[in-house]
Amino acid sequence: MNTFIEQFPTVIEALNVGFLQTLKLFFVTLAGAIPLGLVISFGSMSRFKPLSYVTKLIVWVIRGTPLMLQLLIVFFLPSDLWGGGSTSRFIAASIAFIINYACYFSEIYRGGIQGVPVGQQEAGQVLGLSKTQIFFKVTLLQMIKRIVPPMSNEIITLVKDTSLAGTISMQELIWAGKAFLKGSQGISGQIWPLFFTGVYYLVFSAVLTLLFSRLEKKLSYFTV
Amino acid sequence: MKKIIALLLAALMMVCCLSACSEDKKTDTAEAKTTKKTAEKTTEEVSDLEYIKSKGKLVVGITDFEPMDYQKAGSDEWVGFDADLAKLFADSLGVECEFSVINWDFKTTEIDKKTIDCVWNGMTLTDEVTTAMSCSTPYCNNQQILIVNKEDAEKYASADDCKHLNIAVESGSAGEKVANQYGFTITPVLDQATALMEVKAGTCDAAIIDSLMAAAMVGEGTSYEELTYTVGLSDEEYGVGFRKGSDLTEKFNSFLKEKIADGTVEAIAKEYGIQAALIK
Repeated sequence: MNTFIEQFPTVIEALNVGFLQTLKLFFVTLAGAIPLGLVISFGSMSRFKPLSYVTKLIVWVIRGTPLMLQLLIVFFLPSDLWGGGSTSRFIAASIAFIINYACYFSEIYRGGIQGVPVGQQEAGQVLGLSKTQIFFKVTLLQMIKRIVPPMSNEIITLVKDTSLAGTISMQELIWAGKAFLKGSQGISGQIWPLFFTGVYYLVFSAVLTLLFSRLEKKLSYFTV
Repeated sequence: MKKIIALLLAALMMVCCLSACSEDKKTDTAEAKTTKKTAEKTTEEVSDLEYIKSKGKLVVGITDFEPMDYQKAGSDEWVGFDADLAKLFADSLGVECEFSVINWDFKTTEIDKKTIDCVWNGMTLTDEVTTAMSCSTPYCNNQQILIVNKEDAEKYASADDCKHLNIAVESGSAGEKVANQYGFTITPVLDQATALMEVKAGTCDAAIIDSLMAAAMVGEGTSYEELTYTVGLSDEEYGVGFRKGSDLTEKFNSFLKEKIADGTVEAIAKEYGIQAALIK
């Protein structure tokens, strides 16, 4: 197991397993944080002051503390909930990531919603639409168009932030790469697998960048 | 305005529901929830052994540490002296054995919070460990030894020669403790293998690691052929850590005695080349 050629298949196999975990965490976080972010942004824009204050306080705490700390708190504080094993680490990581990213998304949504000119809502009112109708038929699509660039920023950051899940020993991509530095499956003291993980992140973010630029083009058929 | 409030309240309720769902992933029905609650209430009175048995698995906290717990090339099964013995122990309890790779810094927290049930990974019985966990009788001897580059080996034959060196140690390990006792200048790193890497890369002059690990990882035929070990700094013993006040410790001690008597332990030790360090 001393030559690069011999080590390569073993390393790739281990990195693939790690990358799968990274992907799983990525998609679960998006699926949870995108809708939850919308709820939080409604909360912080509410005209019912107590609700808006409480939501803003939560957003401040979550955005103002390191995600690594939040991971440790979510995993170690409600101890009996998780019950041990690798699934428990994944669930705890997902919850911490969803809450964290929902807070960031909520501020992007708020910017998007408040960036739609008041005239648009007024036009809706003139046409006799209800507030709900105005939001879904007038504001929402314009907001989506506005938030695509900042959201793509945040989502690409998420790709790399998943590596923080290693803090609570979730075996994601970086962990898999680092294992060969320590010694794993007969390969030890090798730093190239760790560097090689960078290729995975690069390829994945390239795919995302492409997807987002396509989405932006699709949404560019109207201007406000 | 009212509509908005109604909408928000509905949204809030949704959030609550969502969080409730995530908390109770394992129990879907209300009935199951109540049984879980009562189960939780009684765990405090129920012994650790019964808790493990009701769970049906023993979660063993490990790190990748040849020859104690490691994976062979192309296999995802954990093997090694500790791993093989852990499997036998779980068998004797009639439960499944699950290995969970942990961050060594958090071993005490992990065991207290029940995310793992024991630490079984060539753990040196230091004062910190024995006060924080219920530890088994020692089963293996170990030494903290100094690792340097081969060409420097003669220069650093005694501990006094090493005072001015920059020494890499695993953060929170027995090696770090020994280094502090000797008054060495240390660089704490993530784990023992990283400490070796630092010496190989030249970012540190020397490293202090477990002799058992050094035997497997340093010298001829390993990835660290240019390194060698010189001074033994302290003698110590390995043990298994269980939760504080756990009755598993007693159970394990008698299990170990039995397995030493029938030669199983010696056979496993020979397989991994550590029979010389065994405590009988």
